[in-house]
Amino acid sequence: MTPALFLFFLLLQQNDGARLAGHVPQAALAGVHAIITRAEQDSLPTEPLVEKALEGGAKGAPPEMIVTAVGAEAARLRTSRDLLRTAGAPGPYRTSEIQSVSLAMARGLPERIVSQVLSAVRDTAPGFALHAVADLSAHGFGEDSSAALIVAALRMGLAGHRLLDVAAAADREVQRGSTRMQALAKVRGILPAIPPQPVPPGAMQGATRPKKGGG
Amino acid sequence: MSQDLDPRIHRVLDGELDRAALRPDERTQVERLEAAARALSDVPAAPGLADRVMGVIRRPIRSPVERFRQWLTARHPVTVSLRPVYSVIIAVLLIALLWRGPGSGPAPLLGEHEGVAQFVARFPEAHSVAVVGAFNDWRPEATPLSDDDHDGVWDARVILPTGSHEYMFVVDGERWVSDPMAGRYVDDGFGRQNAVMEVRPGRSE
Repeated sequence: MTPALFLFFLLLQQNDGARLAGHVPQAALAGVHAIITRAEQDSLPTEPLVEKALEGGAKGAPPEMIVTAVGAEAARLRTSRDLLRTAGAPGPYRTSEIQSVSLAMARGLPERIVSQVLSAVRDTAPGFALHAVADLSAHGFGEDSSAALIVAALRMGLAGHRLLDVAAAADREVQRGSTRMQALAKVRGILPAIPPQPVPPGAMQGATRPKKGGG
Repeated sequence: MSQDLDPRIHRVLDGELDRAALRPDERTQVERLEAAARALSDVPAAPGLADRVMGVIRRPIRSPVERFRQWLTARHPVTVSLRPVYSVIIAVLLIALLWRGPGSGPAPLLGEHEGVAQFVARFPEAHSVAVVGAFNDWRPEATPLSDDDHDGVWDARVILPTGSHEYMFVVDGERWVSDPMAGRYVDDGFGRQNAVMEVRPGRSE
């Protein structure tokens, strides 16, 4: 490791340490720092790890549980980054991209399904596509048929948040009395003409930006 | 060097007084002055003098627009006298115009990859409700929800990057609660479940 790189990691650690100090139990700090250092050396994003440690501290979790949760998050980030690479997604990967894959897996999507979707969204951010599949899966649709519907929607030109509309349309068909298989077939039949969800009037008024850090 | 001219000599030079009325020394002074004037009139003018003088005299008249522009850009002394009480009133009015309370402001300007997340929760018995997530470092004091009409329905609108966001509600500063209306959940690794919000460009769901 070059001195400059070492200094960079040292500064990053000091910055992370300042954010964690006072918010994470002292007994968890050494374990969390070790995981963050390994993640940095492996070119993984560290912000999700700092956030997970802060979450554990805010929720009053015991130190060993915080270290375990941060370690599990690091492992998921590593797997997510590897899945993006395997799918041929052009790097470098943004933290939000790796994090969205990680969250989709945390929501229960198996690596096989994640890889299938990532291969289909190679050139765009994968988050909405993965979570559309996770939404369908969470509502009782089969993982394979859910992924097939979203991949079909992608091939029909739908992308980004519009994929959430595809999942919502299938869910509405079930609420209207269709079986899940019928719902998937109906939605697939009208692709790409999926109606966008309406924006409620005044939904954006008075919105403020949250502040990070602080006491 | 200058010397004041006697008014009587001045009047003689102007032709208002007969020089016979002057004393001999005064008459001599008048004659010297007249000789000097004659000598000056015989000296030829410097080359180009006439042109320079006429150039100044014939300077083009500026248009009204040009004069107005010059008036606007020129410095003018202005004196403003104001009673302190009026200053305070003006300051209060300006602050009231510029600051608007939460929920009453106009739609915000959003970045290309930002949306508005609307958090709504029903906690009729609560005294305070806040939303926490990675977007505010999980600090319960950072993003409070409001219940202006005291009907037990709390809400907050927050600008977030588009994509997935884990969150929970904190009721009365100590009770951590998953959003029962979220529809998307993930184990948080600490024995609870975080709700998941998908923020679309411009809005959330």
